[in-house]
Amino acid sequence: MIRVGVDVGGTFTDLVLENSVPGREQQVVVTKVSSTPHDQSEAVVRGILKVCALAGVEPGEVDAVYHGTTVATNMVIERRGARVGMITTLGFRDILHMARHKRPHNFSLQFDVPWQSKPLVRRRDRLAVTERVMPPTGEIAVPLAEDEVRQAAELFAKRGMDAVIVAFLFSFLNNVHESRAKEIVQEVLPDAFVCCSSEVVNTIREYERFSSTAMNAYIGPHTSAYLRNLEARLRNAGIPALVRIMQSNGGISTIEKSSDLPIGLLLSGPAGGVIGGRWTGDNCGKSNIITIDIGGTSADISVIQDGRLRIKNPRDTEVASLPVLVPMIDIDAIGAGGGSIAYIDPGGAFRVGPRSAGAVPGPACYGKGGEEATVTDAQIVLGRLDPEQFLGGDIEIDAALSYKAIEKRIAEPLGLSVENAALGILKIINNNMALAINANSVAKGIDPRNFTLMGFGGAGPLHSVSLAEAIHAKDVVSPVQPGITAATGLLVTDLQYEYTHSLLAVIDQQGNADFTPINDALAALTEQANRQLDADGVAEGSRRFQRVAECRYVGQGFELRAAMPDGAISKKNVATITDSFFEEHKKVYGHAFRNQPCELITLRLVATVEVDTLKLPELAQGGRTNPTDAILYSRKTIFDDGRSHDTPRYLRGKLLADDRITGPAIVIQHNSTTLVPPHYAAQVMRYGDILIGLR
Amino acid sequence: MIKEIDPISLQVIGGALHSIAEQMGNVLYRMSYSSIIRESQDLGAGLFDRDYNTLCESDSTPMHIGSLPGYLRGIEKSIPLSAWRPGDCVIHNHPYYGASHSPDIAIVMPVFFEAELVGFSANTAHHVDIGAATPGLVIDIPDVFAEGMLLNGLKLYDEGVRNEPLWRYIRDNTRVPGLVMGDLEAQLASAELGVQRFQELMRTYGKNQVIQATRQLMDYTERMLRREIAKIPDGDYAAEGFLDDDGSNRGVTLPIRVTVRVRGEDVEVDLTGSSPQVPTAFNVPFDGSTKVACYFAFRALLLDTYTHAEYIPQNEGSFRPVKVTAPLGCIFNPIAPAAAEARFSQIQRIVDLIIKAMAPVLPDKCTAGNAAVLSFASYSGVRPNGDYWVFLEVNEAAMGGRPMSDGPDTIEELMRNTRNNPLEDLGMHLPLICDRYEVRDDVPPGAGKFRGGAGVVKSQRYLTPGFMTHESDRHEDAPWGVFGGKPGHGGKVELRKTAIGEVHSQPAKFSGLRTDVADVITYYSPVGGGYGDPLERDPEKVLDDVLDGFITVDHARDDYGVVLAEVDDGYGWRLNPEATRKLRAEMAQRGGR
Repeated sequence: MIRVGVDVGGTFTDLVLENSVPGREQQVVVTKVSSTPHDQSEAVVRGILKVCALAGVEPGEVDAVYHGTTVATNMVIERRGARVGMITTLGFRDILHMARHKRPHNFSLQFDVPWQSKPLVRRRDRLAVTERVMPPTGEIAVPLAEDEVRQAAELFAKRGMDAVIVAFLFSFLNNVHESRAKEIVQEVLPDAFVCCSSEVVNTIREYERFSSTAMNAYIGPHTSAYLRNLEARLRNAGIPALVRIMQSNGGISTIEKSSDLPIGLLLSGPAGGVIGGRWTGDNCGKSNIITIDIGGTSADISVIQDGRLRIKNPRDTEVASLPVLVPMIDIDAIGAGGGSIAYIDPGGAFRVGPRSAGAVPGPACYGKGGEEATVTDAQIVLGRLDPEQFLGGDIEIDAALSYKAIEKRIAEPLGLSVENAALGILKIINNNMALAINANSVAKGIDPRNFTLMGFGGAGPLHSVSLAEAIHAKDVVSPVQPGITAATGLLVTDLQYEYTHSLLAVIDQQGNADFTPINDALAALTEQANRQLDADGVAEGSRRFQRVAECRYVGQGFELRAAMPDGAISKKNVATITDSFFEEHKKVYGHAFRNQPCELITLRLVATVEVDTLKLPELAQGGRTNPTDAILYSRKTIFDDGRSHDTPRYLRGKLLADDRITGPAIVIQHNSTTLVPPHYAAQVMRYGDILIGLR
Repeated sequence: MIKEIDPISLQVIGGALHSIAEQMGNVLYRMSYSSIIRESQDLGAGLFDRDYNTLCESDSTPMHIGSLPGYLRGIEKSIPLSAWRPGDCVIHNHPYYGASHSPDIAIVMPVFFEAELVGFSANTAHHVDIGAATPGLVIDIPDVFAEGMLLNGLKLYDEGVRNEPLWRYIRDNTRVPGLVMGDLEAQLASAELGVQRFQELMRTYGKNQVIQATRQLMDYTERMLRREIAKIPDGDYAAEGFLDDDGSNRGVTLPIRVTVRVRGEDVEVDLTGSSPQVPTAFNVPFDGSTKVACYFAFRALLLDTYTHAEYIPQNEGSFRPVKVTAPLGCIFNPIAPAAAEARFSQIQRIVDLIIKAMAPVLPDKCTAGNAAVLSFASYSGVRPNGDYWVFLEVNEAAMGGRPMSDGPDTIEELMRNTRNNPLEDLGMHLPLICDRYEVRDDVPPGAGKFRGGAGVVKSQRYLTPGFMTHESDRHEDAPWGVFGGKPGHGGKVELRKTAIGEVHSQPAKFSGLRTDVADVITYYSPVGGGYGDPLERDPEKVLDDVLDGFITVDHARDDYGVVLAEVDDGYGWRLNPEATRKLRAEMAQRGGR
């Protein structure tokens, strides 16, 4: 079996190839190529050919390609999607225009309203038709005016729309009208991308559902074209491999399903990192992990608890200020990275980020005209990054420029030494990241003291120990290849599909409820999932189903996820749901009420199929302490204690299992640098990951 | 006290305070029960020092931000600083003791560190019903006692012991105990979180260090605001407008006069000349509402978070440069026992008139006339089992055109920033069904180089008999245009009595209206004024507005001088550039330019 993981980033496309053909020596090869933003698939194919050449395998031998892509996300951010028409309920033409009517800024008069200034569907392309489904039963109060639907579709045909959505009020109760309208549109517009809201996300709340549906259609035609184009390019390059796509929920999906529901790909890029983090944790025997993927302009933060990914509350899932009601790994992004700029604002406050020097001009030390001090410049000034080791010497670095930028922009105005100014830059940026980590952990009932902090991305392991101190994490792991953790994640996750159904069922204090609709809905969801898995040719024995009840106390507005018992739900086992909801409520809010009825709002079925997982070769046993033959040289380095220490540089490639390094030390590899401060010690794990803790 | 702390620690502590306030706000609105809190986020939360200075506040609804110090000073009248004990929890809503208005109930907990009172953790939230004369909201009532429960610095918990009689009293005096009691629990959870986090912050950084940091952060915010005020030429700037009526005496309009005095880096808002206080609930509590509106206006005008790169901490510093004057006995500073519950439309107009007064000297920071109103609707009724249902709905409106962009359509403007209620969520739980929720396109937005925002229209139909109270204004005094822009349009309310087939035009304010099955209430919000000469508007944008149905072809021609030609492309219209050039030249000449 030969599998390739391809993760496309803004600058580089990272690749991992795993060759586990029986009889041959198991092999893992990594590489990167420059990304091709105009068409990501170019670099994907070039990268696969390159990694095959490095591994000495024929492209035709590759069995599967696993792909994490930012195609869909970029399309939304840059607003380069399809022209979408909308057919909606008469009287409600402007749900997408009004959104939740809350403005994005409190203290502003000049703010932008993205859903009005850059709408997914323009008002002229939103046509309302006669129909009415009534709550709470879903009965039809006014039948669908099919002639109006047909006229609307014909108008869209004349206008040359790429995509059409059908979004009716209360369709989560009864989608007969939506389905019929979709049929009519497809008759008139056989080549358009057509979807209706109850198919995309069958949940209550019209704006979020309509907007998610519009988003799906907006990115639909181009995303599906990209995926098919990628498939064709691979075939043309002699790569017949199966292609699988990473989804926002951390599972992988097929090209067909991803083309129908591209909205599930909006976090395809960052998801790989979190999965890679979880897998690295497995390799080190760690199941509680806080991951932070630090790049040039931003950092992605996520929490893994008991080896499980945390899924964001659907009320909080947004892309480019627009709601996206699909399951996403709970990843918070903040504007903090190696390129974050440090400056003194007009009121005299010392700021770092969120503005970034990006790749151009980049940090001052790049010598590309950047004169402002960045986080990377601070690392250089403190001796934590050796200029000649930067990306293995691929980029030329001028340390004097870093020094000058910090001196002029920060140290002089504040009356600090350049070293103290640099320490200040790191302290502020680390604090910004630590607060963001707290918001994604402490604020959600997670106690970081039981967690391992794992920093990756090239800059991650430079910050890991400082961040762990700030949030009181238990210890730190630096993954074996911090620069390509996200690509690795692609090779270690499961096939996954999710289905939802909103039904609103009250479960009273005694555990009484009308269980028939709940069990009917569960059966329908299971059937839906089985149909998909049949189509994928998945054997019945390897299908796994997880059922989730999204509940709230009667009267509340936010649901929390509760566990469900196996089999049919009845008065006998419903306590599994209510107990789990109670615990979750207590964890999230610090309070919960045993004697209040709860309301089940949405049923969710997650179908997964385990696929092969990446296996790394184990390192040879070392067991040495501060092995001198791994030391490159020693240099003065300033750590957070403000003191300059003579600090040896270890070459990561020369470290062996169970080697132990005492801080102060720095571990260098091609695309990353790991800091081991004084009073800390690092231990090399069996696959090459490094565990760092207090001595 | 210790000396100035270093800029690095200052950033670190400032970030932590901000994050505490955000978490307090989050717990409150996510855990709460009533839609006015959980969906609309009509709440505020923060930390305060022993002098009642705001140290940090959640970024929720502007009206609540800056109101809590007033509550704390009001509570001091019954609970002096020395009387607070660990484990206390106080409830307060008295409008003559600092409250913003009586439905905005505050929960306050003292924060002790090393056995010493160091500050307070507090929040406010709008409660659906506090047992007033009419369900949910009031307009035409005689005095403050008709507003419902007045809770003046009472202990819900006394040194950790729950005051059961008080909890029972509250439960028995609201029409919707299920919502109100749950919301109070959410407020407790939020305040408790604030206490814990504030103590943790002091444990981590030291008490003196934290207190010193909070002082420097307040100074910083104050400095940033003063810096901007200093750029405005000294002088007196005035603007006037009027309100429809007081909700009882129909046809009697109420003047508002705003004078802004800029002196160096200080500013005073003087409301002298505004209407005397009125005999209904349409008065404004001075400390909790009038002052807060004036603070908001200068912060939004001068430290606009969209145009400023830096986050400026929300604290007492932004209040200090602004002095507010309103003569005792005027609508903005009423004398007890005048009722003062329905105050939002008036404070919106203070802000709008401050913007109008300052427009000539702040042309690149101001807006044209905003809707500057609130449509606060209380729908209610009694279920067959005898339980009340009460639903408070906030209808959005529109903003005026702006120096670089059109006024946003259908949006929460100025002092309010709530979220609407999903129609599907309401439909599942209430005997009320929405028949229409769209952009208001029966009147065009105020024309301008940058047009005003389009308003909203919303129709709600009763499925069972019930009651309705509506608190609003601005049917009469349309939002103004600026720098050659045209005015917007006033609002209107219609009641369709379905059984008798009549449509009644309603005033903006009415209370305790009895409604029948199938009656439909339709609200049309005011529409924003235009900014700059309409003849300077990009013709492509005028075409867009026609295609999108915001304006008609006639309006494009008459007000913008843009001539369109019919085209058979599925959209119907294209620009006629030649005819547009000609018409615009003619209109410019006629206009005397």
